[in-house]
Amino acid sequence: MKRYLKLSITAVLILAVVALIYPPYSRWARDHVNKITATTDHPVRCGSCHLYLQKPGFISKLVNAEYHSPFNLAVSEDGRSLYVVAEESNKLLVVDRESRKITHEIGVGVRPHSIVIDRGGKTAYVSNQWSDNVSVVDLASFHVKEALKTGNGPAGIGLSKDEQSLFVVNSFSSDISVIDLKTSSERKRLTAGNNPTGLQSSPDRSMVYITSRRTLSKPFDDTIRCELTILSDGKQRISARKDIISAYMMENIAFTPSGDLALMPVVRPKNNVPTIQIERGWMMTGGIAVIEMKPEGRIAQLLLDEPNAYYADPFDISVTPDGKTAFVSHAGSDCISVVDIDAVREIMAGSTDELLEQYAHHLGISSRFVIKRIPTGANPKGLAISPDGKELYVAEHLDDRIGIVSTETLEMKERIDLGGPRRTTVNRRGRQLLNNAGGTFQNQYSCFTCHPDGHEDGLVYNMASKDMGRNMTNTQSLRNIGDTPPYKWNGKNQTVYKQDGMRFSTVLTRNEPFSYRDLDALTAYIMTGIPNPPNLLYNPAGELTDAQKRGKMIFERTHDFAGFEIPVSNRCVTCHPAPFFTNLQMVGVGTLAASDDSILFDTPHLNNIFASPPYLHDGRAATLEEIWTIYGKTEEHGAVNDLTKIQLNELIEYLKSLRDPDYEDGSNKTLKAAFGNK
Amino acid sequence: MNSKTYKYIIAFSILALLIVTGLLLIRNPAETENIPVNKNQSVIEDYRNSGDRYPGNSSQVIKEAGMVPVYGNWRTFTTKDGLPSDKAYTVRIDGDRVLVGTHDGMAVYENEKWKTYTTKDGLAHNGVVSVDVDELTGDVWIATLGGLNRWSGGKFETFNQLNSGMPNDLVYNVFCYGAHIWVATGGGAGHYDTRTRQWEIFTEMNAPMHEPWTYALSAGDGKVWIAAWGGGVIEYNTETSQFRDYVDPDGFMEIDLQPDDGVIHDITTATAYSDSILWVSTYFGMSRYDGKNWKGYFDHDSGLASNFINFIRAEGKVVFVCCDNGLSSTDGTTWVTYKKDDDSENGKAIITYGTEKKEIPLSPSISHNFIIGVDACGDFLWAATSKGVCRGELIK
Amino acid sequence: MRISRISITYLFIVFIICLSFTVVGCTKVRSGMLIATEASLSSFTQDGVTDPGRYITGTRIIAFDPGKPAKVRVLTGDFYSAAYPEISYDGKQIIFSAQKKQGDTWQIWEMSLKNLRCRQLTFLRENCTDPAYLPGGKMVFSKLTVNDTVGTAHCLYTGNIDGSDVRQITFSPCDNFATQVLKDGRLLTVSRQLLPQKNNAMLAVMRPDGTKSDMFYMNKGKSIMASDPRESVDGRIIFLETTGNNSPGGFPASVTYNRPLHSRIDLSAGEEEFKSVLPVTSDRYLVSYRKSGSDRFALYEFNAETKTTGRLVFSDPEYDILDVTVAEPYERPKKLPSEVDLQVKTGLLLCQDINFTGYTETREGNAAGRIEVMGVDTTYGVVDVESDGSFQLKVLSDKPFRIRTIDGSGKTINGPGSWLWLRPNERRGCIGCHEDPELVPVNRVSLAVKKPPVIIPVHITTIKEKTVELE
Repeated sequence: MKRYLKLSITAVLILAVVALIYPPYSRWARDHVNKITATTDHPVRCGSCHLYLQKPGFISKLVNAEYHSPFNLAVSEDGRSLYVVAEESNKLLVVDRESRKITHEIGVGVRPHSIVIDRGGKTAYVSNQWSDNVSVVDLASFHVKEALKTGNGPAGIGLSKDEQSLFVVNSFSSDISVIDLKTSSERKRLTAGNNPTGLQSSPDRSMVYITSRRTLSKPFDDTIRCELTILSDGKQRISARKDIISAYMMENIAFTPSGDLALMPVVRPKNNVPTIQIERGWMMTGGIAVIEMKPEGRIAQLLLDEPNAYYADPFDISVTPDGKTAFVSHAGSDCISVVDIDAVREIMAGSTDELLEQYAHHLGISSRFVIKRIPTGANPKGLAISPDGKELYVAEHLDDRIGIVSTETLEMKERIDLGGPRRTTVNRRGRQLLNNAGGTFQNQYSCFTCHPDGHEDGLVYNMASKDMGRNMTNTQSLRNIGDTPPYKWNGKNQTVYKQDGMRFSTVLTRNEPFSYRDLDALTAYIMTGIPNPPNLLYNPAGELTDAQKRGKMIFERTHDFAGFEIPVSNRCVTCHPAPFFTNLQMVGVGTLAASDDSILFDTPHLNNIFASPPYLHDGRAATLEEIWTIYGKTEEHGAVNDLTKIQLNELIEYLKSLRDPDYEDGSNKTLKAAFGNK
Repeated sequence: MNSKTYKYIIAFSILALLIVTGLLLIRNPAETENIPVNKNQSVIEDYRNSGDRYPGNSSQVIKEAGMVPVYGNWRTFTTKDGLPSDKAYTVRIDGDRVLVGTHDGMAVYENEKWKTYTTKDGLAHNGVVSVDVDELTGDVWIATLGGLNRWSGGKFETFNQLNSGMPNDLVYNVFCYGAHIWVATGGGAGHYDTRTRQWEIFTEMNAPMHEPWTYALSAGDGKVWIAAWGGGVIEYNTETSQFRDYVDPDGFMEIDLQPDDGVIHDITTATAYSDSILWVSTYFGMSRYDGKNWKGYFDHDSGLASNFINFIRAEGKVVFVCCDNGLSSTDGTTWVTYKKDDDSENGKAIITYGTEKKEIPLSPSISHNFIIGVDACGDFLWAATSKGVCRGELIK
Repeated sequence: MRISRISITYLFIVFIICLSFTVVGCTKVRSGMLIATEASLSSFTQDGVTDPGRYITGTRIIAFDPGKPAKVRVLTGDFYSAAYPEISYDGKQIIFSAQKKQGDTWQIWEMSLKNLRCRQLTFLRENCTDPAYLPGGKMVFSKLTVNDTVGTAHCLYTGNIDGSDVRQITFSPCDNFATQVLKDGRLLTVSRQLLPQKNNAMLAVMRPDGTKSDMFYMNKGKSIMASDPRESVDGRIIFLETTGNNSPGGFPASVTYNRPLHSRIDLSAGEEEFKSVLPVTSDRYLVSYRKSGSDRFALYEFNAETKTTGRLVFSDPEYDILDVTVAEPYERPKKLPSEVDLQVKTGLLLCQDINFTGYTETREGNAAGRIEVMGVDTTYGVVDVESDGSFQLKVLSDKPFRIRTIDGSGKTINGPGSWLWLRPNERRGCIGCHEDPELVPVNRVSLAVKKPPVIIPVHITTIKEKTVELE
């Protein structure tokens, strides 16, 4: 029977190949591929779409695989165990440092992000970004004792000095949960910066520093400001908020053991500068912020890049116990920068404020404090140093490995395989490409840089359309966009193949275009591999609140409150129908600026819209309210002028409740897991 | 005398007894409260002859004030001391510092120094009319005439009707209650859930209000009381999301026809809740509600400085009342009212206990008789007036 | 029957062996052999203008196995002169410049290393030299150019490897020689300004379409010698510098690719007797070197660590070795996309602040408020800059220009700087004037980009052309 099956499959394949070679069929195939890719040069490869673009199902299972994707990690006090947070497999992996083997795999919440271990190493706390809770893991029995409820999108996590409280950074709701560990309940919620992630206590445990990723500035033509939030451990109140100027994507922070300095990776974007060249750092630079901890201490930024070589997406930073060396993982460049902290101290001591300002723009300064760049596996994220300071552990996120670097020789000496699939699927390859700056001239930035987590960075860029300073564009999210073509605000790219093809390399990466194989992989990942997080903040279970229900009625109304019929073209639901809340059509909504070309806009999808400020094509609306209170007065963007403030609020509450259609299906694994962990 | 005659005598005697008792009661109600009659005792003479700060037997007077503390040794702060404006609208004590809202920004008094914050620092508007502190987070919420500010970690964040779900930018009052920030504005009342970042607005469209104009609010025990202009007091139950309104049974009449039949007037200016008592101020007097009965207070039948009340704040059993002609405080029985002399910096504290009035001269006194904001904590009482802010020390 | 089967198998094996021997035997230059240009420099004189030392008559290209230096194969025996070979990425071809007969102009040729068959790639009136392969079946070379725009200079040209679609890509009065293609896909060339005065040669870098031309490395005290700069496996660029005396040799030096302006290492140990250098490994080079002026340039091993010459690899008593390369495949550089659109007649230039020369400079005193855009022998006009010091120019493409900053009284504050040109539809930016080239722009919106650009030359009011939307 098997033999017949094999034979028939072979026969079918042979026939298919013959058919494709036979001129009429090959011509049809060519036209078909041109139509599907909206290009004329993509090779005829049936698998590109018919295998790798399949939504979850049999074929998808066949061509994809489930990886661990180690994101962050910690080392036990005795240095015997490594605790690895596996983002994709939703597990905490316990690795024996001696044997380099995984001893336990503990299921935690959804999309675990960070870990902290208590003094004595009895309990580990793992934040679960997609299930809004913290898994409390008993490290004696290696099982989850309980799940502590947090705010939305828990990420960075830390214990108070007396270890009676847990501080959890809520990356989506931009606040900090202070959890009382005696009652296992949230005592208070403190406001943080925009999209906070990293958390670290000062060496004396008196202060807790929280980093953030998105800017607080106006969408365009304003100085980028990203907040470093400082929390008093004793009072458990915010004691200061420091703006880090011209920087964002501040993922993590580390202190020197003496506590004289705090070091924080930063990305310094050039979104206000026309994107006319990559040379000389005209698009993106990266470095570290150096915070002097003394009273009236200065905050400087030193670039890690070099004039002809850039080190994209600095993510984590770790300092050796002797306080001499810091390691910065570059998730976009697959390497680690080794920083001589004494050299940094020298630079700070010997520099005026003016000089320090220069160093924030100087590609040569890194030669004074960067000792070495150590190559790593794909997409290095979290770092941890062994208690004896001899080994640096690197979470090679997209390689399912832990790299072990000798802090003495500064060489990668070993890798621990976490046992994920060894084959690199097309989708995985696409994810590696999206996260890697190799496709950009001189590795200056990756897709991830402007699309962190496959989302968007909240900035508005001057894309230097005809002339400079025209057609500012707000970065759009890549989450679940497979079903919502065309792409770009002007809708000129009908497919991702076209979006990321030659135009992409000419305008954005200014480098050799992706090979067709890589383009297929990138497209497969973007079209099928970037889901929206569940909307646990505004619509966790699919049941709308009364206000949201009233907002839904306004969204779907056909008549205004005076009883007059609203023209079909001016009803919300006309252009924004479910399930993606876009009709995929081009439309004008009266928002063209003097600096815009006269174009229509691709109707954006609205799922998880609450997570994508600013709004409108040029990001002029900082909040959903502003779309109508300030920029919707002409009634071209929906009939809203008869709404009271209460009704407008209800409409906006409904918009905030919109979530990915994948979650409408009750059987959604992620959502089930999210609730299962509550 | 037959038995019939005895019956008549007994019935008549009982009736006579009742009538006499009734007459006695009507003639001198205070006697029923067993309060000594006013013997016009004055301490001024002793005070003049003594070098003491306070009159010789003032301590006796203060003792008689009972639960109501008396403050003296008043100190005034004006622009000369560093205030941005002498027009002070509100005052709030926050631990070791004092936050004062003025016509030209917010002033913070800390370590004997004043520091001013204005729109240049991120304030939504320089007219700061109300300030409250979230005791849990330490965040300061500032109501201005151009929006609401959160002041946290030294940074101002602005909420207004354009960038958020706020009802209106004319924010008259802000009150922190749990994770919710309540505001009374010119366009309705509302609350902001600091956890979900959602706003809920109450106006005449969805609440029993006469019009959206709301002046102030307070909360406690799961309820919020909104002082709605012309709508009396709107009670909102945070558990059931149900409303209840308290209006003047006498309607809009400026006299209280039937005493203690409800809130004394629908034009309410503030509410204050403490120790299970709701206090409501109007421009025509003040009311007290214990959950069952209402009681009204007027300047003619109590120690209230004036019927025109701008604001009230309750601390424990005592409510502090900001009038257009002095500052009063009471527990409902005893009154302590502070007034400044027109011709000098001196003034007096008037302790009223029933019909008995006693005065303690104060030198210096409060800075001005037009009081619009007040806050008390520990040994200090702060008042915002038309002539700067003043601070009184508890007389022990 | 059985015998015949065996014999057939045997014959088949023999046939295969013979065939393979034939194939191998046919490959005239095997992988790993060295290919060099040699000439007798003692008989060489240059006229200096049209021939800046790159057209050496009597040159020839040879190949030899470094293990058997005695066996030399002359690859260009039927050429009057042939020089500067570059290997194709697959290691199977070389491209070089040559004169077929005495008096011919120098043209670009390609030769198969398998059978030494040659084909002429260019048929141009002027001399062409210093060719290099470009990804995508293209080539780049220097060509003598004489016109009003550049005067007389050797500009760079690109074309298809079959000689078609030859286009000029540099447009300044500068000589460009010894062009190499960096791994990042850009061209690295030895460039020397000729007008208004002759400057020291520097290493310039640009994209293969001539856009984003920029200084890569310069040494104020020395000139870069017109000898192929080479990129080593460890990310260094090795080249020769000269003090400009009459010696045909120079000093080897290297800089890092990552930070060329501040990483120079002098490899010469004081001797100016090197003619070319070829990195083999990170520390082992092959150099063309002579011990004294009376000796011939011969091939030696060179240790970059100790900066010493080692074993003699090859020498020829009759000839000097001008350069050397290895016949083997190597990694193809990146094929960079082009923003050039020949239907567009202009390019755009943005400057953030003409008064910015570096953070340590103060703006006290006389700040410039205007710029003058200067052509080779004319002025294109004076332009007021914005209050933040920014300007945006729309300049006629492929025309060289320099900029000087001037104050209100017309006094020069800075410049004029080096020559610039913009390719059709090119967009370029600079952050200041004579600023530290390692500085990146400040992330701010310049006032100049809020307005339409100023057209240069200023006497032109409008330019009707296709507008290209990049994004």
